[in-house]
Amino acid sequence: MNLNYEKASIELPASWKALTPVLAFAGVSCLIVGAFCFLFLAPSVEGDKTLAFRYLTHSYLANFIYILTFAIGALFFILIQFLTRAGWSSSIRRLAEIMMMMIPYLSVLFVPVLALLFVNSAELYEWNAKEAPNSVIAAKTKVFLFKEFFAIRSVLYFAIWTMIATWFFRISRAQDESGDTDLSLVRQKWAGPMIMLFALTLSFAAFDWVMSIDADWYSTIFGVYLFAGSMMAFFGMMVIISISLQNAGKMQKWITVEHFHDMGKFMFGFVMFWSYIAFSQLVLIWYANIPEETFWYDVRLKDNWQYLSYGLIAFHFAIPFLGLISRHVRRHRTGLLFWSIWILVAHWLDMTFLILPNAGPATTFPLIGHLFGGVGMLCIFAALFILRASGVPLVAMRDPRLPEAMKYANPIL
Amino acid sequence: MSEHKPRKSNEVKMPKAFGWMAEYADEQNLLVAARKVRDSGYTQTDAFTPFPVHGIDEALGIKPTILPFIVLCAGFTGLITALLMQWWTNGVDYKYIISGKPFGITPASIPVAFELTILFSAFTTFLGMIFLNKLPRFSNPVFTNPRFDRATDDRFFLYVNAADKYYNRESVKELLAGTHPDSLDEVLDDSTPSTLPRPIVLGALLLVLTGLIPAMIVLNMRASFSTLPRLHVFFDMDFQPKKKAQQTTTVFADGRSMRPQVKGTVGRGQLTEQDPFYLGYDPSKLSADDAFTNVKYVSANASQDPASKDPASTAVPATPAQTAPPQGAATPAPVLNLPWVDKLPASIVEEGNIEANMKLGKLKFETYCAACHGYGGFGDGLVHKRADALAQGYWLPPTSMHIDRVRAQPVGQIFHTITKGQGKMSSYASSLNPAERWAVVLYVKALQRSRNANIEDVPVDSRSALDNELNAEPTK
Repeated sequence: MNLNYEKASIELPASWKALTPVLAFAGVSCLIVGAFCFLFLAPSVEGDKTLAFRYLTHSYLANFIYILTFAIGALFFILIQFLTRAGWSSSIRRLAEIMMMMIPYLSVLFVPVLALLFVNSAELYEWNAKEAPNSVIAAKTKVFLFKEFFAIRSVLYFAIWTMIATWFFRISRAQDESGDTDLSLVRQKWAGPMIMLFALTLSFAAFDWVMSIDADWYSTIFGVYLFAGSMMAFFGMMVIISISLQNAGKMQKWITVEHFHDMGKFMFGFVMFWSYIAFSQLVLIWYANIPEETFWYDVRLKDNWQYLSYGLIAFHFAIPFLGLISRHVRRHRTGLLFWSIWILVAHWLDMTFLILPNAGPATTFPLIGHLFGGVGMLCIFAALFILRASGVPLVAMRDPRLPEAMKYANPIL
Repeated sequence: MSEHKPRKSNEVKMPKAFGWMAEYADEQNLLVAARKVRDSGYTQTDAFTPFPVHGIDEALGIKPTILPFIVLCAGFTGLITALLMQWWTNGVDYKYIISGKPFGITPASIPVAFELTILFSAFTTFLGMIFLNKLPRFSNPVFTNPRFDRATDDRFFLYVNAADKYYNRESVKELLAGTHPDSLDEVLDDSTPSTLPRPIVLGALLLVLTGLIPAMIVLNMRASFSTLPRLHVFFDMDFQPKKKAQQTTTVFADGRSMRPQVKGTVGRGQLTEQDPFYLGYDPSKLSADDAFTNVKYVSANASQDPASKDPASTAVPATPAQTAPPQGAATPAPVLNLPWVDKLPASIVEEGNIEANMKLGKLKFETYCAACHGYGGFGDGLVHKRADALAQGYWLPPTSMHIDRVRAQPVGQIFHTITKGQGKMSSYASSLNPAERWAVVLYVKALQRSRNANIEDVPVDSRSALDNELNAEPTK
């Protein structure tokens, strides 16, 4: 098959590169405005000074996890493509590869969280207090939840993900030069073990970074919950990036309606999967009805957080489910773009639901600050993406499965 | 035409034509031909290939099916059915508390709703596919062409149906011939007779009739009567060489198949039937008459009759308090009189054991008794408080240990009450072994005494401490 391509069509648009400093500046500004909302507006207008810093730390973590999940989703996507020897995705795989290569960049943004632990602040992680709040937490802090071990684990997670991502990315780039099919085979061979390592590290990272905010609460499904949301958000991000690139005149030949259709299917599937996992977690706790488990939901069902919690059922499940159920929507670029943006917002709300209620009641200025933080983090994500993508061809041109990806068509149902 | 012509059996008839079928060596030729046929406006077309060919739907111009919409409707029907069903059964028609959960639709209803959604969707998908494909169909005219067998092997076929509204025999043939097929055949009706061969019909009929025989026999048996004895299939199971209770035997001189206990032996479980330690009374002191009359509770109804005097209460004058009606009760409680043990067993109260037994008694009392009788034995335990708060009217308060009637009871009777239960109180024999029961009795006696003690009961060196405590109390 003739794969004649123009080099320019698989490069990042020049206008995007020019946008990088603007995005970075906007991101940092938004973060500063957000912090200002937390530290000055919230206490002076709403009068609660003690909660200001608490809100800031929780909001930062929520927004950080929010953008990190795109990269984590990308990493899993790459692994699963090689594990299943998928051909359809070859032309869009490079975009995901670039996204997964952002993990080392993003790990820098985790440093403030670790720093918080080492200045002995218990604002974010209550188990870091000198005196554990209760005996259950005290028992956990002895063996697992103490700052040194936590830091080692966090570094380990980032190191493992960076290692997997870098290894896969380097081979992919080497194949760009040589076109050696063995380079695909070696990645297929290692995708299986890597995916196990990924599952373990993601599960533990979710326990450590998010679940341990409520150190006396536990849910064994929590890692899967975060994973389900991550994958959903990743496909949303992929669609947005793909459509943005095509609107800028790039990649038009390489991303066909079939690829959009497939990403839409994945998005739809992970909307369902997230709902399934979220409900599984809820129904067990609801049915057992024991106070040491139910309090987690109790916190999220009062102080105005109940609007968010109940709203997630509609915003994170029912509405996108009905919106994405039709193949006509999934094959329609504008329709798919709309639902992708919707899903990114829903995922942000989900991260807010997971983390922010622990800080305190939902009041105006902390929420505005959190929103600024979210926008800021997204800008930083975009800037980092452009930074990472510059100089890298956006399609793995010599991938042996590329012809398959271009020929691929969804059957007419 | 009114004239009737008898049909000749040997008349040669042209078989019905169903359309044209073209054969190709590979899927590329097939796709090209299919597009050509599609662009000529034919819609009643089909392709047969050994494997799924990408793009064949588009090349044939097949419209998307409406099945997904039907399935969506079925899914929602299942969802609503499940929710309505659960709302009706558990929320309206038969409210039943399950694990203290609310009635009607709860998170626990979601799995059922999910399953029913899937069930309805799956059945609709399957049956809808069958229906939309016009299945089941035993045969298709294309099967008549022997070349068609290779459609499952290595050949590709394109079929234009004569049912198409633009169908014209000659022009379709011309069109298909222009796509350079390997062969081009008209699809003709199967000329083989469509009736089943007679032997097969007869054989099937015979099988069906044979299959009816067992059912007929059973029906006949059920509707008819017989004086013949029942058939014993397993004779030695129906008639076993053994004796049952109350039957006679010739083996023993007295003719009884049930044998009396051999003199000088003790049966299993019989040992405790003779020992006051296990009973609370001394069975050897029961007179023959007492044994018959006294082992029964005197019913509360019988004592309502003022003319009849309670025979049991007069039989044992040693316990006069028992005859007094319980305070606050409308009817006298059943009274039981037996030669009660009036001293705690030596093994319970002997020096060195009594301390441990008192502790054991306290532990067991607070575990099993205090829930109703209260920690102090006043009959004010949590169960009582809860039942009293509900004010349902039929609650009989637990007995206080400190009323005169109970205080006058010998230890054996208290032991017996624990062992056998009394009124609403059930037996605690399965929870407390005899030694534990005696320990509880010991503790109950101590409780009783604590409410009726005087200063002489307090050891001399502790009296001043008690005084201090009593004096300090009002200032607290």
